[in-house]
Amino acid sequence: MAQALIDDWNGEDTSIAEIERELGKLRDSSLLPGASNMRTSVMTHCAWVPRRWLDAAEQTLAGLADRHPSRTVILIPAPEEPDGLDAQLAVRCYPAGDRHVCGEVLELTLRGNRVEAPASIVLPLLISDLPVFCRFRGEPPFGEAPWEQLVDIADRVIVDSGEWDELRYDELRASFDTAAISDIAWARLEPWRVLLAGRWPEIAEQEIRIAGPPADAALLRGWLASRLRRTIRPVAAADELTVKLGGETVAPPRGEVRSPSDLLSAELDHFARDRVYEEAVAAA
Amino acid sequence: MTATAAENPLLEGLNVRPRPEPCTLVIFGASGDLTQRKLMPALYALAVRHLLPERFAIVGAARSDMSDEDFRERMKEAVQEFARDDFRQDVWDTLAEGMRYTTLVGSENQDEDSLGRLLDEVDRERATEGNHVYYFAVPPAAIAALVREVAARKSEKGWTRLIIEKPFGHDLDSARALNALLRERFDESEVFRIDHYLGKETVQNMLALRFANGIFEPIWNRQFIDHVQITVAESIGIEGRAAFYEHAGALRDVFQNHLLQLVALTAMEPPIDFTSESVRNEKVKVLRSLHTPGPKSVVRGQYGRGFVDGEEVPGYREEEGVSRDTGTETFVAAKLYVDNWRWADTPFYVRTGKRLARRETTIAIQFKRAPHPPFEEVAAEALRPNVLLIHVQPNEGMSLAIGAKAPGLGLSIRTVHMDFLYGSAFREGLPEAYERLILDAMLGDATLFTRADEIEEQWALVDAIAAPWQRDRPAFPNYAAGTWGPPSADDLVHRDGRSWRRH
Repeated sequence: MAQALIDDWNGEDTSIAEIERELGKLRDSSLLPGASNMRTSVMTHCAWVPRRWLDAAEQTLAGLADRHPSRTVILIPAPEEPDGLDAQLAVRCYPAGDRHVCGEVLELTLRGNRVEAPASIVLPLLISDLPVFCRFRGEPPFGEAPWEQLVDIADRVIVDSGEWDELRYDELRASFDTAAISDIAWARLEPWRVLLAGRWPEIAEQEIRIAGPPADAALLRGWLASRLRRTIRPVAAADELTVKLGGETVAPPRGEVRSPSDLLSAELDHFARDRVYEEAVAAA
Repeated sequence: MTATAAENPLLEGLNVRPRPEPCTLVIFGASGDLTQRKLMPALYALAVRHLLPERFAIVGAARSDMSDEDFRERMKEAVQEFARDDFRQDVWDTLAEGMRYTTLVGSENQDEDSLGRLLDEVDRERATEGNHVYYFAVPPAAIAALVREVAARKSEKGWTRLIIEKPFGHDLDSARALNALLRERFDESEVFRIDHYLGKETVQNMLALRFANGIFEPIWNRQFIDHVQITVAESIGIEGRAAFYEHAGALRDVFQNHLLQLVALTAMEPPIDFTSESVRNEKVKVLRSLHTPGPKSVVRGQYGRGFVDGEEVPGYREEEGVSRDTGTETFVAAKLYVDNWRWADTPFYVRTGKRLARRETTIAIQFKRAPHPPFEEVAAEALRPNVLLIHVQPNEGMSLAIGAKAPGLGLSIRTVHMDFLYGSAFREGLPEAYERLILDAMLGDATLFTRADEIEEQWALVDAIAAPWQRDRPAFPNYAAGTWGPPSADDLVHRDGRSWRRH
């Protein structure tokens, strides 16, 4: 959907107070005479995005913003740079009937020691009374301050274990009791899960062999093992996910492949803990 | 996939939408406007979203002579023109593969033979297991004969469901007769009386608004609500439907069904759950307790020449096919009361009409004024009572009018609106009402369909309103096209010291 950038503001070595002030001005400027623009938010969406993931994150968010009107706070850690905070703020509007709906995008670069205190930067910028979703691009900094702090303030944390160099599920599990966790790799598996659920009850007794990308294959194996309460053979590495039941290769699910924006969008509609995922991770 | 998560552990946590069992949808009236504008686009939308049964067929049946190929071509054009989704050849090919047509000509026996034979053939070819949904998109006069035919053909192997379009009868006696005929041959669970308003997201949102929000239900009663206004306004005329409209009028075309359903959803008690019986039990209680205080509490009107959207339009009596001295009403307004503990003495002002100032369906809940505003009179003169306004169409959503201090040194109170627009918070396109309703009928879920006793209660009220109309001849036309109806409609509300909400 066509979006219009109403106005933006850039600030180097800025402060939260200045960001809030400039954000207020941007909101006022989005109320163009006769334009009937509305600010609508259903959440605060924060994203922890190391620089190498920035392009991918911006593309995903561009395809997402009109579906989930929100305030998006993108946190870019730059620990190697001198201490400070840089900000790029923008108000973007989308047509909605005879009006425009406007949301805000705050791209904040956390330089030097600011990386250690992301919660103190995000907390004042949260929209009151609305849920907070926090997406970690790449491998999350498990055990480090940014992970601990952002998990604490988020109602839902979204990762993609398919983006990890190593499957650090044990460390992820440690946060299950703090926030509801979503995994885009798990979301990608949904068509497979629907397909294999259709193989019940025969699947309960059949030999199961899984090959595929590490995260997808491990999660699928964990899911089957936890649901069927049986041992599943270790997975083999492959570029594409394949499943053999009783020696016969299962035709992959049909249907359109969902884009990263679609997958993230679907996760932003869930609020509760996903026990089935948690058990799959435990068994992965 | 019919197993539940309790039986199949792999289903747990999966949001698998139930998919209907294999079936054939038979559309009576397949060459008509409704099929092209609404039914076929709805079926296409369901196909795009993989919500139709895996084994599915559509059999069109109508008086027009057409080949299967002609029918498919016509339906394809309808989808290309009216569907909300972009046209996709692959989706269309899958849908069209199971589409057949039969011409209903000559005696009913011949019809039965040709349609019966075709259905057997389709069941075999498409493996639809003898499950048939019959959609009656035909004039009311044709329904009874077709119901008898369908009953005679009722499949012993699979299930049979009937979707019957409004109007269901033309008065209480005819509705009772049709219900009796249906009861003879079918169980109530097999009959789906459609009122497409109930398939609209915003109408269903009325239930979410009332029963999912703790703040509204405690004040949803006579203690806090001054009155309710429900408007179902159309700016269009009769669009070539003179033959139907001359007999129906606004009372039977819209008031009897859409409008009374909106009253029922606004006034009903919380159901114990969201099953079809619980919801409909509560609605029928409201319909049973509705009354209008007397003939003076009902106003009827008919539009004369006027201007709509800047263009001059003819009066009703000048429309093609309409009698020059017709007494058919194109506008009805009424004051209704719901005789129960929650709503006693709280008026529901309702109105519907054609060629009104704009197309709009709204439910306005006007709350009582604050008991003692501690402001000087002049400070609060622009302050109006709180109104919760539910926009059913267009611009689906709701707004709450509240008083706020106008900026400045003094204390001046102004009314401002807090708006919720469906399209701004939920950016997914709203499904068309027919998509939801056709799917529900295939799944056997009758929650959003009207039950026999509801229909009869609606007609009982309509008959009571229409009875005095037989005795006098109104001075029509009494409102100009493009206005909000006759002055007597304003008087109806003004007499109580109130006014229709400003548009």
